[in-house]
Amino acid sequence: MAAQSTAAPRSRPGSARRPAASHRTRGPRRVWSFLPQYLAISPFFLVFLGFALVPVLFTLYLSFQRWDGIGDMHYVGLEQYRFLISDRTFWLALSNTLIIWVLATIPMLFIALVIAAMLNSTRRLTAFYRIAYFVPSVTSLVAIAIFFFAVFSSQFGLVNAALHAIGLPAVPWMSNPWTIKVVIALLMTWQWVGYNAIIYLAGLQAIPTELYEAARVDGAGPVQSFFRITIPLLRPIILFTVVVSTVTGLQSFTEPQVMFGSNASTNPNSGGPGQAGLTVMLYFYHQAFDNNDFGYGAAISWALFLVIMLIVAVNWRIVARTDR
Amino acid sequence: MELSRRRFIQASALAVTGAAAAAACGKSSSGTSAAKSSTLTLWYWGGGLSDKVVADTVKHFTAVTLKPSVIGGDFKQKLLTTMTGGKFVPDITGIKGEDIAGFLPRADRFIDLNTLGADKLAASYLPWKWKQGSTTDGKLIGFPIDIGPTAMFYREDLFAQAGLPTDPAAVGSAVSTWDDYFALGGRLKQALPKTFLLNNSGSVFSMVVGQGTTRFIDQSNHFVGDQDHIRRAWDLALRPQQLGINAKINDNSWNAAVGNGTLGTEIGAAWHALDISSAAPKTKGKWRVAAGPGGPANIGGSFLAIPKTSGNPQAAFEIISWLLSPENQARGFTDAALFPSSPASYKLPALTAPDPFFGGQATIDIFGPAAQKIPVAYEAPADAAVAAPYYSELTSIEAKGKDPAAAWSDAVSQAKSIAQKQGVSV
Repeated sequence: MAAQSTAAPRSRPGSARRPAASHRTRGPRRVWSFLPQYLAISPFFLVFLGFALVPVLFTLYLSFQRWDGIGDMHYVGLEQYRFLISDRTFWLALSNTLIIWVLATIPMLFIALVIAAMLNSTRRLTAFYRIAYFVPSVTSLVAIAIFFFAVFSSQFGLVNAALHAIGLPAVPWMSNPWTIKVVIALLMTWQWVGYNAIIYLAGLQAIPTELYEAARVDGAGPVQSFFRITIPLLRPIILFTVVVSTVTGLQSFTEPQVMFGSNASTNPNSGGPGQAGLTVMLYFYHQAFDNNDFGYGAAISWALFLVIMLIVAVNWRIVARTDR
Repeated sequence: MELSRRRFIQASALAVTGAAAAAACGKSSSGTSAAKSSTLTLWYWGGGLSDKVVADTVKHFTAVTLKPSVIGGDFKQKLLTTMTGGKFVPDITGIKGEDIAGFLPRADRFIDLNTLGADKLAASYLPWKWKQGSTTDGKLIGFPIDIGPTAMFYREDLFAQAGLPTDPAAVGSAVSTWDDYFALGGRLKQALPKTFLLNNSGSVFSMVVGQGTTRFIDQSNHFVGDQDHIRRAWDLALRPQQLGINAKINDNSWNAAVGNGTLGTEIGAAWHALDISSAAPKTKGKWRVAAGPGGPANIGGSFLAIPKTSGNPQAAFEIISWLLSPENQARGFTDAALFPSSPASYKLPALTAPDPFFGGQATIDIFGPAAQKIPVAYEAPADAAVAAPYYSELTSIEAKGKDPAAAWSDAVSQAKSIAQKQGVSV
C-alpha cells in the first residue's frame, strides 16, 4: 500500500540513529537515566494495573468459582461455563446484542462516511458542522437514553404523535421486540455517527487532491473516484472504526438499562418487554449484581470477550484481505 | 454506548472509595473492639429515612457523634463491597426490603439486635415485619423502618361516569375477590372504552404471590414455583389480558397513562401514592383508596442493621431505637412518605390527617387495617432471582403475543435452572 511504503523509509533514519545512542548508555544505567520519562508515563500504567489488569485477571479466576460477594468462594471448575452453554437466556441476550450491533453499526459507518465526504467539501461554517456532529458522542448517554425513551414512548411519544398527525397508525415502539432493538440501534447510531464521521474526515483530508485531479483528467466521475480512490485509501481508518464499533457496540449496556430499569423491585434489569433489550452486558450485570452470582457474571463477561475477539478477527480478515 | 469492564470497575472502585472516605471521617483509631468509638457512621439511601428525623437524631445524641451519609447508586452493592473489603464499614446501615432475604444467611456479619434489647421492643412493631428481618433461628438482623401495605387506588370520577360505586367502603366490598375486580374492570371498559382496569399482568402476579404464605421456595429450600399457588397467580395475571382490560404498559408511558384516564385503577403499596401524585399532579382530588382485591400484601419497606464491625453496638442500637420510635416513624411518614411499621403510629395525627390528593380521604383507614393483615411468608435468599423468569414471560405474552402455555413452561424451566444454580433443591 502506498501509505505504508512511503512511511517505511521515513522511519529508517530514526532507527538508524538509535544504536549510536544506546551505545553510550547501555544496561540498567540506561533505564535509570530515563527515570523522569518513566515516572511521567507511570500513572497510566499504575492505574491500568490496579483498576484494569488485576480486576480482569480476577474475573477469570472468579469464573471458576461460586461466590455470592460476601461469603466464601467455592471452586466449581467449569460448572459456570457448562451452565452458560445450556442457558437459553444467555443465548437470547447474545442474539439481541448481535442484532442491535448489526442494526446500529452498518448504517452508522455508512452514514458517517457520507457525512465525512460532505463535511470535506463544505466551505462555510465548517467548524460549526464538525462540532454539531461531534456533540452527541460527548453527551451523557443516560440523558440521551431517557430522551429517546420519551420520544419513542409507545403511547404518548413524540414520534407516535407525529405519525398520528399525518394519519398513520401509532407504532408500539417500546413493546414490540423488533422496534425495541431498532430504537436502541437508532440511539447508538445517532450518538456515534458524528464521532466516526470526524475520524473519516481526518482520513479524507490526508488523501492528496492530486489523486482526484488525475482521476478526473482520466475521465473518472465522482462515484468512481469515491470507490476507487477514497475507499481504498481510507481502508486502515475504516478498519479502525469497525473494530472500535465492534468492541463498544457489543458491550451496549446503558441504553437498555436506563430504558427498562423501571420495574426495579420485581424484575430488575430484565431488558424490557419480552427481554428484547437484554444485551449480554446487561445480563452479566443482572446475574452479578442483582442475583449476587459473581462467578456466573464473570463467566458471561469472558464469553462476551471471546465473541468480541472472534468478530474482530473476522472483521480484520474481511477488511484487510482486499489489501493484497 | 458501552460499559467497558475497565471503565465499570474504575467507576465503581472510585465510587466505593468516595463513599468510604465520606464514611471514614472521624472513625476513631482503627476501631479496636475494646475501646468504644464515640463516632458512629450511618448509611442510608436518599428517601430511605426522613432527613429531618436523621438531623434531629444527630442533635439528640450528644455522648456520641452520629455521622449520617446518603449513599447514591446501587446501595446493596456498595454495602456488600465495603463489607467484603472490611474497612470503613458503617456502624449502622440501611437494608432494602428486597435485599434483606439475601443478607439473612450472612447473619454472622451483623449483630443480633435481640442481644442489645430489641426483643423488649418487639411488641410495638408489626410481627410479620419483625419476622422478615429475623433469621429462621430467631436472630434479629434488620430493625423495621417502613412497610408497603397494598390497596387499590382508583379514579373516583371515572367510576362515577361508569355508574360504579364510588365510596371507598362500597368499592372495597365490590372488589373483594379477584373475580369481582376483573368483572368491575369489564364494566368500566364497557362504559369508558379508553379506560383499562390495570397497567400490566406483572402487577397482578406479584400481588397474588404476595398475598400467599408460600413464595417460590419453601422453608426447606425446595423449589415450589411449579405448584398450584404460583399457577393460580399466573392464571389470574392472564385474565385481564383475555378480558381486554389490561393496558399492557411496561415502560414509562405509565406516567402519561396514569394522568389521562387510561388507567382506572392501580393496585400498589402505600408509597405508590407518591408515584401517582408526582406523575399526575393534575388528577389531584380524583383518586381514592379502597381495600384491594384478594386482601393485602406487602411491597417494599426497609430495615436498619448493625454490622459486626461496629465500634459501639450499644450506642448504635440506642440511636436506631430512637430514630425508629413510633413517634419518629409518624414524622417519617409526613416528611418522606415512609409508612410506619409500628401500629402505634397509626393513631397519631400525622397519619390520620385527610389527604387532599385523595379528595380528603384519611387513607390510614384503608392502609392501617391492611398493614396488620399481611400474611407472614417465607422469602428465600434466591426468591427474587427465581421469580424473574415469570415476569419476563408475562411481558413476552404482552409484547410478542407468546402462547401462554409455552410461556408458563418456559418460565418454570428457567426458574428451575436458576434455582438449581442458586443451590435450591428442585
